[in-house]
Amino acid sequence: MRINIRIIVSALLAAMAFVSAAQADQLADIKKKGEIVFGVLGTDEPNSFVDPKTREIVGYEVDIAKAIAQKIGVKPVFKQLAVAARIPELQQGRVDVLAASLTHNKERESQVDFSLTTFVTGQKVLVKNSSGITDVPQLAGKKVVTVKGGTQEPNIRKAVPTVEVVTFETTQQAFLALQQGKGVGYVNDEASLVNDYAKLGPAKKEYAILPTSISVEPLALGIRKNEPALKAVIDDTLRELESSGNADKLFVKWYGPATKLQFDKRSFKIDSDKI
Amino acid sequence: MPHFDSALLLRGQYHDWLLTGLHLSLALWATAFVFALPLAIIVALLRLAPSRALRALGTCYVEGIRNVPLLAHLLFWYFGAPELLPDSLKEWLYAGNFEFVAGAIALTLYTAAYMAEDIRSGMRAIPAVQFEAGRALGFGFLGTTRRVVLPQALRVTVPPLISQTLNLWKDTSIATVIGVAEMMYQAARVESASFRSAEAFAFVTAAYLTVSLLITAVAAWVHHRWPVRTL
Amino acid sequence: MIELIHTYWLYFLVGQFPDGPLGGLALTVLLAALALALALPVGLVLGLARVSALRAIRWPVSALVHVVRGIPLLMVIFWAYFFLPSVTGHKTEQFSTMLIALVVFDGVYLAEIVRAGIRGVPRGQFEAARALGLGYGRAMRRVVLPQALRSMLPSLVNQFVATIKETSLGYIIGLTEVSFIAAQINTQVFTHATQVYLLLGLTYFILCFGLSRLAVLAERRLGRRVPPRSVRSPGSPTPTATPTA
Repeated sequence: MRINIRIIVSALLAAMAFVSAAQADQLADIKKKGEIVFGVLGTDEPNSFVDPKTREIVGYEVDIAKAIAQKIGVKPVFKQLAVAARIPELQQGRVDVLAASLTHNKERESQVDFSLTTFVTGQKVLVKNSSGITDVPQLAGKKVVTVKGGTQEPNIRKAVPTVEVVTFETTQQAFLALQQGKGVGYVNDEASLVNDYAKLGPAKKEYAILPTSISVEPLALGIRKNEPALKAVIDDTLRELESSGNADKLFVKWYGPATKLQFDKRSFKIDSDKI
Repeated sequence: MPHFDSALLLRGQYHDWLLTGLHLSLALWATAFVFALPLAIIVALLRLAPSRALRALGTCYVEGIRNVPLLAHLLFWYFGAPELLPDSLKEWLYAGNFEFVAGAIALTLYTAAYMAEDIRSGMRAIPAVQFEAGRALGFGFLGTTRRVVLPQALRVTVPPLISQTLNLWKDTSIATVIGVAEMMYQAARVESASFRSAEAFAFVTAAYLTVSLLITAVAAWVHHRWPVRTL
Repeated sequence: MIELIHTYWLYFLVGQFPDGPLGGLALTVLLAALALALALPVGLVLGLARVSALRAIRWPVSALVHVVRGIPLLMVIFWAYFFLPSVTGHKTEQFSTMLIALVVFDGVYLAEIVRAGIRGVPRGQFEAARALGLGYGRAMRRVVLPQALRSMLPSLVNQFVATIKETSLGYIIGLTEVSFIAAQINTQVFTHATQVYLLLGLTYFILCFGLSRLAVLAERRLGRRVPPRSVRSPGSPTPTATPTA
């Protein structure tokens, strides 16, 4: 069954290679170069982060990226990006694909294309129990911290219009600011928050993740506009991962019960790029 | 590239953001300047003091500050130093606008180190006989400095000090890394909200240039109005 | 603190190299050295253009110099980062962006240092060279500039120190230079913020102070008085030659 799909896809790819010769063909360029550059955050455990022992970038999205590179038959190269720089770097051709915890939303669809949704999370707020805040509306008039250039700031402002927001260059700087008490809440994707929460160790009991999600965040890979061949390869790789069961294995590897996040099971499948 | 939409700069939400940034940049600049100048005079005097220990103190300050980039200073004062304080003091500190405070502290200390050197050079440019004459007349070190050397030194020192003021103005841009919502911070915010980098950056560039040119004009006027007299 | 150094010293010094791009202190020094080496010819050209007899050269260059000096380095970096690829048609990543921004920014300041260096060489040298039949270019290249460069050496070392400090701004565009690495290490070890940033400051201090002591030594060898780092001649209305970062 798997072998059949592979042959069909390869045939389709070969056909597409001829068909799309007329358009700008990033996929052909990638194949010619022999390598594909993925823009990753490298600071968002467990999607992409630096393993301190090996000093390599690893993670859920990194594994997906490696699968795509293997499918195309080229070497994957990982480039670390700041949150605020993801879309500009992709648009200007400095990276080929974004695997950087990128939220798929309507506003961004005018700037970039998205692959099938690879992960669904929500954005939540992490608070210190000593602040006495038990749910999102109580943040009115208070100061929260988050990272620059993502969807976190607009989302929290929409949820709590009178909130005061201070943003930092990286998510960890923002988390550090929360720990030091410079804000009462730290806004980020739920998965990242759970990961940070777990890393606190014994200090965990002083913190809590507020129950209400301020948004639903479908994460997907970012692709430059008008690159149908590349998008097709990426989507096909993702479908294959899903149908072979490897997608679920990846989820368990990085988010499952044995990890810091301890998610029980996936609440989504990798099968759609509609939001 | 999409066409340049100058309407963005003249009114609307993004314009307001950028304007708020400009006000904060100016506030940060003014605050740091007001505190840096007196501190610089003190440090300069330390460097010229008769006591060896005081001189060493002054030198440690100047060399320790100048050999470390402003970015590292900002990170240290915002993320590093306050953690040493007791919890109650920390909470009181963080309840206010600590981003601005830490930024002002870092900028003040950094600028004062450079200004101190300029003031010291200015004072050294005054012939030693002036100082000796003052001492001979019975004034102490501070007295002579205050009445005889400093007034003459000021004329010499003012142009480099104005340069340092210009540098301080430009340095306020780095405070963005500790969350101070000054112009660069707002420019990045406008860019990520609207994807329109050209308009945001043009506004900010024009704002920086305008103030810089004003400062340079003041410098030229000072030089014209109070030229350095040589004895 | 010792444990901190023990675990992270390699990452701090070279980043992910060789399993990834070069980072940390090695990247800082490399970037600064390369930027200064490239900024020197740029500064030379700009300096010569500023004293050119031709208005068509002098005015645009002077305008450029005034604009670059009036805006923060961070602004130059942002312009380079967002617009360089559309202008050159080439992809540029953080290192190249930082390099180009530094070359432009420092080139403008070096123009002043170069001008002062050239002026420092006695006019007679140039005249003698011309009298011997050398053209303007040859006279500059073979007679004036070598002497000027020797006298500029301490100022150049000071400029190198300033450039090392400027590389810290790469932090803001995600370049993995030493400040960025320190911040990353800091977030791994939440509770030692003070130590991490003190160590960062100490690293810069040792590097920069060491280099500026070298400048003083070079001065002594040349037998000249050390020009104070941030001061031009008293009464001069031109802004100081040391950009701060």
